[in-house]
Amino acid sequence: MRPAATTVFRALAVEAFRDAMRRRIVPVIAVFALLSLLAVDSCTSCAGSSQVVENGTRVSVDDISGWTGMLIFTVLSLWVMVLAGLLASDHLAETVLDGSAHLTLARPVRRSEFALARLAGSLGIAYTTGVVVLSVSAYLLHLRSGVPLGAAIWAGLACAAAAFVVAALAMALSLVLARIAAAMSVLFFVGAIALVNAFALFGVSLGRLGEVVQQFAPPLCTAVVVALEPWIAPVNPDVVPAIMVLKLALWMIASVLILLATFQKRELGS
Amino acid sequence: MIALELIGVSKCYGSRDALRGVDLSLAAGSALGLLGPNGAGKTSALRILLGFTKASAGTVRLQGLSPRDPASRVGVAYLPERLQLPGRMTVLSFLKLHATLAGLNGSELERDVESVLEQAGLSARASERLGSLSKGLTQRVGFAQAFLARPKILIMDEPTSGLDPIGVRDARDWILAARRRGCSILVSSHLLSEVERTCDQVAIIDEGSLVANDALDELVEPGETLEDAFVRLVAK
Repeated sequence: MRPAATTVFRALAVEAFRDAMRRRIVPVIAVFALLSLLAVDSCTSCAGSSQVVENGTRVSVDDISGWTGMLIFTVLSLWVMVLAGLLASDHLAETVLDGSAHLTLARPVRRSEFALARLAGSLGIAYTTGVVVLSVSAYLLHLRSGVPLGAAIWAGLACAAAAFVVAALAMALSLVLARIAAAMSVLFFVGAIALVNAFALFGVSLGRLGEVVQQFAPPLCTAVVVALEPWIAPVNPDVVPAIMVLKLALWMIASVLILLATFQKRELGS
Repeated sequence: MIALELIGVSKCYGSRDALRGVDLSLAAGSALGLLGPNGAGKTSALRILLGFTKASAGTVRLQGLSPRDPASRVGVAYLPERLQLPGRMTVLSFLKLHATLAGLNGSELERDVESVLEQAGLSARASERLGSLSKGLTQRVGFAQAFLARPKILIMDEPTSGLDPIGVRDARDWILAARRRGCSILVSSHLLSEVERTCDQVAIIDEGSLVANDALDELVEPGETLEDAFVRLVAK
């Protein structure tokens, strides 16, 4: 009898996570995470009574700390999304190319179970890093600038959803593109969408193409910034949080379907 | 009962025909040796049977089901030609994972893993990373995973590749033991003497077409070896 789907998925996902943990890139990620936290610590250490001069007027650092916090949190969230994409971009393709997936798929295992387990394994690393980096940063910002923590939780969830979309799409892309091309696509995809989102949030028009990207692409940057609105004044009243949540949810479903359809079509060992 | 069958199966890779209308079946409890020159289409046939690739035409059944259905692979074990194991895993964790996927759990899983480790002479290597093993030992791990959970169907592609003479003899003994247990075996091999010793049926594929498919003693004429019969049929 075929083992239960949950047993199969759990066994494969645990192994995929362990496999991801054993990769040589993991210590590099840990060092980057530590450097990011040191940078956040350095950027927030002047909060309190310090003042800056803006156009000849003295401004308390606390008045601009919400904006600083939003910027720091958004950049770190984008870093987590890129990390998720890069890790996913060869976590499945590697096993298909070297043939080690064949033995697993010769067992009573669905391709969808295998692909989703590999996705979960690579996301495990990205999420662990994200939780550490974003929660410590949010705590430092809360402690030193007094920004509310609740917003950071919503922003963290938005980041997790966006990272899921990036990872699933990167994994699908890695099944049809070479490893380096898939990794470069992740950088381009996240960078371009973040740029369009940022311009749109401040009401800057990027022409027809920019509007299409803003309208239909996953709201990677917008979702995080909108969640952090309590830290700043509303940047763009046209952005409705409920629509943002719906868009992210639809992109999560679509990205998984794209991944599964690509893997189903992929011929193994030909 | 039929363990597996290909009916009129063709497979094209671009303009190249890897298989042309191949009919092949394996009765439960039988052992079929699939022979053919390099590039004849043997590996393509095995990949189609396991659902790794789709046939361009024809019908494929594994335990009466489509190979795309995971239920068709319950009780099926596979040993590929170019065995690639996840190098970052240890021998033990790899076998435990496959035992779980084969449907074992708890103490039954522990017992079975221990038994195949011992059978394959890998007990002392259980904690070593798969990536650090020699080709011969890697092949032994491949055999160990194939014999987990007492499979009903064994599909093997060049199973003795990379094994030393003792390993080849051990592999033959394991295959014969599986046969005695009633396991159906499909083995693709260039080692005709091994096929002669382990199989009761032989199918020969040449340039994608089936040129012979018969009981071993029907295929080999009096005074001939299997090698003579192979050369005679392929050279036709």
